[in-house]
Amino acid sequence: MGVTSRFSSPGLRSRRAMLRIALKSLAHDRGKLVASLAGVAFAATLVFAQVGLYAGFLESSSAVIRHVGGDVWVMAKGTAVVDNGERLSAGSREIAAAHPCVERVRGLVLSFQALRKPNGSLEAVQVVGFEPSPKHVVPWALSRGLPQDLHAPMRVAIDRLDLEKLAIAGDPIGAELGIGSQSVSVAAVTDGIRAFTLAPYVFAELDTARRLTLLGADQVFYWVLDLARPECASDVVASVGRHPDLVARRTDEFRSLTEDYWVAGSGAGTALGFSAVLGLVVGVVIVGQTLYAVTKEHLRELATLKAIGASPAEIVSFVTWQAAFLAIVGGGLGLGMAVAVQGWAIEVGLNIVLSGPVLALGCGAVLAMCTVASLWSVRAVLALEAAEVFR
Amino acid sequence: MRRVLVRSDALEKTFGEGELETPVLKGICVEVFAGELVLLMGPSGSGKTTLISVLAGLLRPTAGNVELCGAPISELHEAEVTRVRRRHLGFVFQSYNLFPALTALDNIAEVLKLKGLPAREARERAGNALADVGLGERLHHRPGELSGGQKQRVAIARALAGDPSLIMGDEVTAALDTHTALHVLEILRRQVTSERGILLVTHDHRLERFADRVIEIEDGRISRVVPGGATTGEAA
Repeated sequence: MGVTSRFSSPGLRSRRAMLRIALKSLAHDRGKLVASLAGVAFAATLVFAQVGLYAGFLESSSAVIRHVGGDVWVMAKGTAVVDNGERLSAGSREIAAAHPCVERVRGLVLSFQALRKPNGSLEAVQVVGFEPSPKHVVPWALSRGLPQDLHAPMRVAIDRLDLEKLAIAGDPIGAELGIGSQSVSVAAVTDGIRAFTLAPYVFAELDTARRLTLLGADQVFYWVLDLARPECASDVVASVGRHPDLVARRTDEFRSLTEDYWVAGSGAGTALGFSAVLGLVVGVVIVGQTLYAVTKEHLRELATLKAIGASPAEIVSFVTWQAAFLAIVGGGLGLGMAVAVQGWAIEVGLNIVLSGPVLALGCGAVLAMCTVASLWSVRAVLALEAAEVFR
Repeated sequence: MRRVLVRSDALEKTFGEGELETPVLKGICVEVFAGELVLLMGPSGSGKTTLISVLAGLLRPTAGNVELCGAPISELHEAEVTRVRRRHLGFVFQSYNLFPALTALDNIAEVLKLKGLPAREARERAGNALADVGLGERLHHRPGELSGGQKQRVAIARALAGDPSLIMGDEVTAALDTHTALHVLEILRRQVTSERGILLVTHDHRLERFADRVIEIEDGRISRVVPGGATTGEAA
């Protein structure tokens, strides 16, 4: 019969039909829909924000390493984290540069110092002294001034977020600061560079930084090596490692060490992970409850569809379409809220990074949350007997 | 020769096991033909609902055979039974079982699309089916905006729109007043054709005059089969 043949391959049409039935049923009860979307959005915001904060902490803790760059870092033996380096002896530069693969050696100073604010009180700061390099712009994120503004002696750059902490009112350009017995002048301002240690960065070129940290002419805290061929990094590391007072690490290795030291070692990662998981649990409960309530309300209708001839997969799709809708719309709202929170967080000194991997992880978590939340309902519809329609 | 739509042979259905074992159907042999409206009547607990569920392939018999529209469904896999129901059966229920979020038209059209019909044809058929049951003016009303009788007519239209060979119903008039119940039965009676039959489970003796046969069931057995009003001429 004609009718029979037309009914024989439901395929895409049946999936679309179930999609419409599922979404219209979900939208029918506006209160439940709004509650569910709010639940997913809240959970998604928490996940995106917590994962973004974690990524931000990682980024902040190793920002100097990433921006100074290079292939290998040479440091004093026992250095476990970039912020706790020790000054290197005067002859260390020759040792670092000895390998023929080393193309360029750049000195770096990174040292905590006491800064006297204009109001006379003291504040711990981290002096970052660098050698200008066209490939590696330090300081990064300049919002006022240019890198060459730091060429003149005793010129420094500070971050906009630290102005209040450093008690600088009005235009910071030209403001005078005292570090140790030296006086420096602010020549440039960065925007959004916040150290994990919360001690404000003071960027200066190498000579100025040496004067501020009382180092000799050839002294630094790190030698950063640019290699002619990155593949000879292992040789360079081994070569430097033969010196009893020095150790060399690949840049990525040193970055990971620093990130682990601050983020994992401080427990910040665990705390953020716990908050993210808590958000997901809250989301699972809210979404699970809504999906289950909507499913339960429609069990007779679903049993009817089953009796009429809908397959178990089609019946389950009633739940999965709803879960997918909540995940996509709620997740999207959550991401929007996370972006809003990101803007606010930067003003209070928190760096929420919403990079590609963070978004992928957050979206995956939201999807997993809605999947888990739908399991109760899926179980309910799978247990549904078509004969229920006659009871 | 009349076409047999559903036939059972020595049908048995038992629920539970061991001490809790309860035989509900005890050797039922029944046939429903195209061109007739058959009522299945009996006291509560007599096994009517179980019988119609087994005949529709919604429950598996414990013993015996069921042939539905030519398919031996008691021997087929669940997926194949589902396909037989999809092709040949329409259902009408006491509580209508309509999706509250969908309009009358969509309640029918979406089911037809679920069965694989193209959207335009599904909507056209749904509209025609609603017009056939006198609801041409209520296409875009949701179930909450319809009376009980209107909801039942939407359910009948849903069953009819799929052009089934057999319509099965359970207490389809139980929630309706006499006038509406008779109107609903008149509509159902009109759907009986040489290609289609109807089997209804009911307590409602008012419906007997629309039936060709009345099968009475008691304690899991057929106690008697009598001609209905449609055969004896009472329906007019």
